[in-house]
Amino acid sequence: MQWLDALIQGVLLGGMYAQYALGMALMFGVMRIVNIAHGDLMILLALTGISLAAAFSLGTLSLIVVLVPLAAALGWALQRGILNKVVGEDPLPSLIATFGLSIALQNLMLQIWSADTRSLRGGGLESASIDLGGVYIGVLPVIVLVTAIVLTASLDFVIRGTRFGRGLRAAAADTEAAAMTGVNPKTIYAASTAIAVAILGIAAVFQSLRATVSPADGPAQLIYAFEAVIIGGMGSLWGAFVGSMVLGVAQAIGFRIDPGWGILFGHVIFLAALAIRPEGVMMKRR
Amino acid sequence: MLSTHALTAGYGDFQALFGVDFEVRAGEVVALIGANGAGKSTLLRSILGLLSVARDMVRFRGESVGGSKPHAMVRNGIGIVPEGRRLFAGMSIEDNLRVAIDYGRKPQRGENVASLWTIERIYKLFPILRERRDQVVHNLSGGQQQMVAIGRALLTQPMVLLCDEISLGLAPKVIHEIYDVLPMIRQAGTALVLVEQDVSLAQRASDRLYCMLEGRITLTGDSNTMTREAIAEAYFGANHAVA
Amino acid sequence: MTTLPIVNVQRHTLSSRIAMSLSVVALMALIAMPWWADSGWIRWAVELSCYIAIAQMWNLLAGYAGLVSVGQQAFIGAAGYALFVLCQKFGVNPFLAVPLAMIVPAILSVPTYLLLHRLDGPYFAIGTWVVAEAVRLVTTNLDFVNAGAGLTLRVMTQYRLHEREVAMTILCAILLLVTVGGSYWLLRSRHGLALTAMRDNPVSAGSQGVNVSRLRFLVFIAAAVGTGFAGAIYYMAQLRITPASGYDPKWASISIFIVMVGGIGSIEGAIIGALLYFFADRFFSQYGAIYMVVLGCLTLFMAIYARGGIWGFVSSRFDAPWFPVGRRLVLPNDKGT
Repeated sequence: MQWLDALIQGVLLGGMYAQYALGMALMFGVMRIVNIAHGDLMILLALTGISLAAAFSLGTLSLIVVLVPLAAALGWALQRGILNKVVGEDPLPSLIATFGLSIALQNLMLQIWSADTRSLRGGGLESASIDLGGVYIGVLPVIVLVTAIVLTASLDFVIRGTRFGRGLRAAAADTEAAAMTGVNPKTIYAASTAIAVAILGIAAVFQSLRATVSPADGPAQLIYAFEAVIIGGMGSLWGAFVGSMVLGVAQAIGFRIDPGWGILFGHVIFLAALAIRPEGVMMKRR
Repeated sequence: MLSTHALTAGYGDFQALFGVDFEVRAGEVVALIGANGAGKSTLLRSILGLLSVARDMVRFRGESVGGSKPHAMVRNGIGIVPEGRRLFAGMSIEDNLRVAIDYGRKPQRGENVASLWTIERIYKLFPILRERRDQVVHNLSGGQQQMVAIGRALLTQPMVLLCDEISLGLAPKVIHEIYDVLPMIRQAGTALVLVEQDVSLAQRASDRLYCMLEGRITLTGDSNTMTREAIAEAYFGANHAVA
Repeated sequence: MTTLPIVNVQRHTLSSRIAMSLSVVALMALIAMPWWADSGWIRWAVELSCYIAIAQMWNLLAGYAGLVSVGQQAFIGAAGYALFVLCQKFGVNPFLAVPLAMIVPAILSVPTYLLLHRLDGPYFAIGTWVVAEAVRLVTTNLDFVNAGAGLTLRVMTQYRLHEREVAMTILCAILLLVTVGGSYWLLRSRHGLALTAMRDNPVSAGSQGVNVSRLRFLVFIAAAVGTGFAGAIYYMAQLRITPASGYDPKWASISIFIVMVGGIGSIEGAIIGALLYFFADRFFSQYGAIYMVVLGCLTLFMAIYARGGIWGFVSSRFDAPWFPVGRRLVLPNDKGT
């Protein structure tokens, strides 16, 4: 029973990680860049959301409605102002630029919000749970998981079946050839970063409902997203989703063995996955 | 229709083109020949905006367009079949073609819609593509990939189509098949620029011919009346002893 | 028929001879510090030496081998802990324990590289971070090393302050000799040409007979040992180590800042960057978070607009290298430049 419970809690935790990982998989798939400030952007959105909710007494839903467009605009600006200048064959410039951004953001948030942990009140939603024959399942984590599934499925549909998705896949496969077919790569890049950060806006609201956030939390979220993406297979959306589940379950089981081991267990599973299946669980072997 | 004027371009410190004057008129087929490194591909790349050039070095339909972004050039009506085909890996034939429909030139008001290229017309041109429409492009033979590349370029609805070495690496029979459709493309009103290393093939397929050597145009004229000796001299340079 | 002129291969310049002499003077002055400087100065010198060494190792990784790591703190902490354990648990003489402690980062770097080398550039970087986090968490859970509370180097109390300072400055001189001198030697050697070729284009270097993956592996191990050496000395001077300080990602930020601002892919750049960071830290760290915001923005700015850093800017204007690693051909009647 204890292990079944750990498994369920792990899958639910994985739902949260999937929301971080989705945007990272999208950006890496399209531009071959990893935004080191990924986690910090999420924390920035979470803290902004908490402040907004307090200032205008917004409910959870209205906060999402306000925060997601804000996040998308932030993503668009990030791409136009910084990432477009560093994207290219050499991975070093984008890595260093986003690393610098990460340091700057963390400390800027520290300056504005101080090191205190904060969270969002969801009107009883965060503590509601259902009893399934001895296993208690939180309502909020279920909503998070369902949202993650809906987000992954919609993004997957957009990429497979729409005009924008085809342009995006074309630019990902061969940027120059895409431009020779009339695709403006910079617009595609800006749109995909806007989507990636918009998803972080949703994740930010759930993260601050589920747990607490503080300015220094970003790097940990970056690492979880990264581990999920690698375990699942680079750049594949459903791969990132499955990788998030694997990571969530590994952490939940590790936590049951010894509370100090939860996160370590996640790292160990990640390293084991690298050793055994470096191409990711969802990728075909070449 | 499309012309360059004293066009100079290069890569970093290395200058590759020295004052090139080149022209394609509406409905015409022009061949561009020259040895490896003569600057043919560089010329196409500068026309398309992949290399930076001054505004007035490239004119298209009466406007100076030099140095515009490649995607803007394509949407303006200059199509290209890139060297090495450059298909979108991991995507099906049909998706490769649809990218061009989605992002290519949009027909202007008053333009005859019936003359536009459609996926259906591309499949008529190359029936094999219809059979394999849902297959991923890297499973295709070289010739079939070239057909997709040509189809993709046509679907951007170009008024001038630049073809960069479309015969390269293909079997003679396949080259023949591909060159057989060029007259049909021309009938549709699209002007063609053929970059070729195979001189006799280029001569047969074109109305006019340019020969390049070391970044300069060394010969230009009517393809049918040009002598082999004149071409050889322009191709290898005047001091080169013809064996 | 023309005869080929006889040329000399010139490997030193006037500027490099001056720089070399100054380096020797600086090293002598460093060793002599316990007799002419006070303890505060010596602490600063130790800190600066560690920054230079760690940055130089990161430069070797990112600037030449194309391996961008944000997890070098794994080797800093591991070597620091190895030193403390050897001294406190096994009673090894602390100054003898420093070289012995190098075995731990060396051993750790092998599986790290073998696991991570398959990852693409940016993924490799975060992979190293995960390894550093994993090592930190393992340390935090080990009661043998006092878990999260950390260790104190009590054995040092048996030495007088002057004795400790003499030993520390000698260790720092060796550290600089090994990391900076070692990089200089490596880049001037046969392998240096291969490394420079690899920096400029790994694919074509591979096709010209450079065994890229083997060279990368060796550089990764060497950098781990060099970084660990600096870590051991740094925490020996601190007399205390905890998982949070030893494996602090701050070390990654420092190396990246120093090398990117100073100038990546050159020995001079890492030294300039380290000096700049050291003095900026002295003067501005009182401003706390805002100071770090400026450092972050500066790193961002360098990555976008000035990839060559300060040294890149200087060397494009003045041809006066301090540590020339190339070869130039000079005609005998030419005085050279």
